[in-house]
Amino acid sequence: MAIHTSDTPVIVLKDLKKRYGIGESEHFALDGIDLTIQKGEFIAIMGPSGCGKTTLLNVLGLLDTDIEGDYELNGKSVSTLSRRKQARIRSADIGFVFQSFNLIQRLSVIENVALPLTYKGLNKLQRLKRASDMLHTFHLGEREYYKPNQLSGGQAQRVAIARALVNDPSIILADEPTGNLDSRTSHIIMEELSDLHMRGNTIVMVTHNPRLTTYASRVITMLDGTIDTDTEFPENKPELAEKQPLGTPKGARA
Amino acid sequence: MRLLFLSHIENARHSLRSHRSRSILTMLGITIGVASITAILALSLGASSIIQNQVDALGGNIAVVRPGTQQVPNTNQFSTSTLTDNDLLSLEMVDGVRAVAPIMLLTGAVRGDEQAPAGTPIVATTPALAQINQLTVRDGQFLDETINRDTAVIGAQLSVDLFGSEQSIGKIVTVRGTPFTIVGVLERQNEPINYSNVDFDAAVIIGRDSGQEINQGSVQIQQIHVQTDTVANLDRAIISMNQALLRNHFGEADFTILSGEAIAQPTSELFRAIAGVGVAIAAISLIVGGIGVMNIMLVTVAERTREIGIRKAVGASNGDIVSQFMIESLFLSIAGGVSGYIVGYLLAFSISTLLPFDPAFSWEIAGITAATSLIVGVVFGLYPAIRAARKDPIDALRQYD
Repeated sequence: MAIHTSDTPVIVLKDLKKRYGIGESEHFALDGIDLTIQKGEFIAIMGPSGCGKTTLLNVLGLLDTDIEGDYELNGKSVSTLSRRKQARIRSADIGFVFQSFNLIQRLSVIENVALPLTYKGLNKLQRLKRASDMLHTFHLGEREYYKPNQLSGGQAQRVAIARALVNDPSIILADEPTGNLDSRTSHIIMEELSDLHMRGNTIVMVTHNPRLTTYASRVITMLDGTIDTDTEFPENKPELAEKQPLGTPKGARA
Repeated sequence: MRLLFLSHIENARHSLRSHRSRSILTMLGITIGVASITAILALSLGASSIIQNQVDALGGNIAVVRPGTQQVPNTNQFSTSTLTDNDLLSLEMVDGVRAVAPIMLLTGAVRGDEQAPAGTPIVATTPALAQINQLTVRDGQFLDETINRDTAVIGAQLSVDLFGSEQSIGKIVTVRGTPFTIVGVLERQNEPINYSNVDFDAAVIIGRDSGQEINQGSVQIQQIHVQTDTVANLDRAIISMNQALLRNHFGEADFTILSGEAIAQPTSELFRAIAGVGVAIAAISLIVGGIGVMNIMLVTVAERTREIGIRKAVGASNGDIVSQFMIESLFLSIAGGVSGYIVGYLLAFSISTLLPFDPAFSWEIAGITAATSLIVGVVFGLYPAIRAARKDPIDALRQYD
């Protein structure tokens, strides 16, 4: 992955708007969001249903590119990029974790984890090797050739996280990663995410569950397409970031 | 890029295998279409090549004179042939010509002990025909200059039809009410399709004068066979023959002199026309097969909407999705094409047991099958693949399977 200088934020949003419908039925799902995300942050986004959390995540993940305003990812404005370039960025810089895991049922666990590497042009041996290494770090080494429907919810979500990480992305986007899990499994998953955070990964997580925000270093609540509150929890900043400047001084915040 | 291609192929194999019976049934549509095209082409090529082979076997010093021209074919059934006795004499005078034989083809009732099948060809000709067409006599002798006019030579099959045996020398065959004594039975030729347009196995051959007699005194020469003394002389002789005939016909070029490949051409063209119609019909079945591929690909795309969303989310571009589904449909059509080619030849060989010729192999047929199956795969796979790629990843991910 590209090395970012400490003063380049991973994500900068300036007056970001997402419009649905035209004329009378015009409606802004995102209505002027300004947000800067530094490397090494673990952001939890809260808010009632329909406030635009998921839309924001889709925009951040370049799944939704029909936006107004400016979105800079790693210092580059994405609106100028071709669809092909955007796909490449999704492949290289972004890891998705979904509520419903979104594993491909007909592929085995290891093939699912190796999937993002396919679009990076790695050969099969390299892909499976990297995927296998990644699964071992999540203690799923023995489940490599299981099918997703043979896994428990917690295991499936860990596979999904392994898939999100296999490309070593600069940001992990998680849309209610524990929404389909019981509270015990939820905490296991959150421990995994927290662990990733401690190792210097940048994570943006959408959640409904206020308890899970305790893992985050910064909690953003949204309301009607705008940012309502933005609170930092310095105690949850990874120690690693203070020893090594993986993250950045997090003073300048709106 | 190449690695991506390999992974698409693996993916296609994987997904086709997971719906084995569906894939095989879809493939079957293409197989049937390609098999019928292959069988028709192989048989028609086989048919036109046998005439070519006969011409080659005769040694390359044969020319055939036919009435009418390529431009103005003598297709009107009620018009008389433009070739006359006079032409025959003129051709014999041409330098380098060794032998000339007219073919005067008549039809009518032929009787022996039994009635001959309807349409038995009655050929009135001169003794030179045996030499030019390399007809060999199994029993007895061929017609010659000295022989009695009321004699005939018959084909081996006709002998069986008339008398129940191939031994029929000395028996009487009645042609159009006139009795002829059989002086010879021909060796079996097994060439019902040939450039003379006569199946000599089933024909009765009589002298030119007798032919004129039973045809109410008029001479109708459908074809004149000319043999030159050497192959090298053929071209020069044809030029002189042309001049001689033009003089006879007062400058009107109402005849054609054919040699080499051109002799086989009218017959080949007929076969090609029949094959063309057959191929057109087979192409319809191929289109139906292609629609089957498209249908199944649309089902596959619908089934895998979620997968498409996931793939896009982890970094697949639209092009990647298009190629993934295109390769899957190409897989179906190429596999169908290959099995169709094999089945087509099996079919052609089993049909050819009922026909007097064998199917022929050629690169053209292999090329046509390869090209058609590729085209079917691309044409009918493109729309589903583009539809797959156009799916909005957010909507696609929202769909639960």
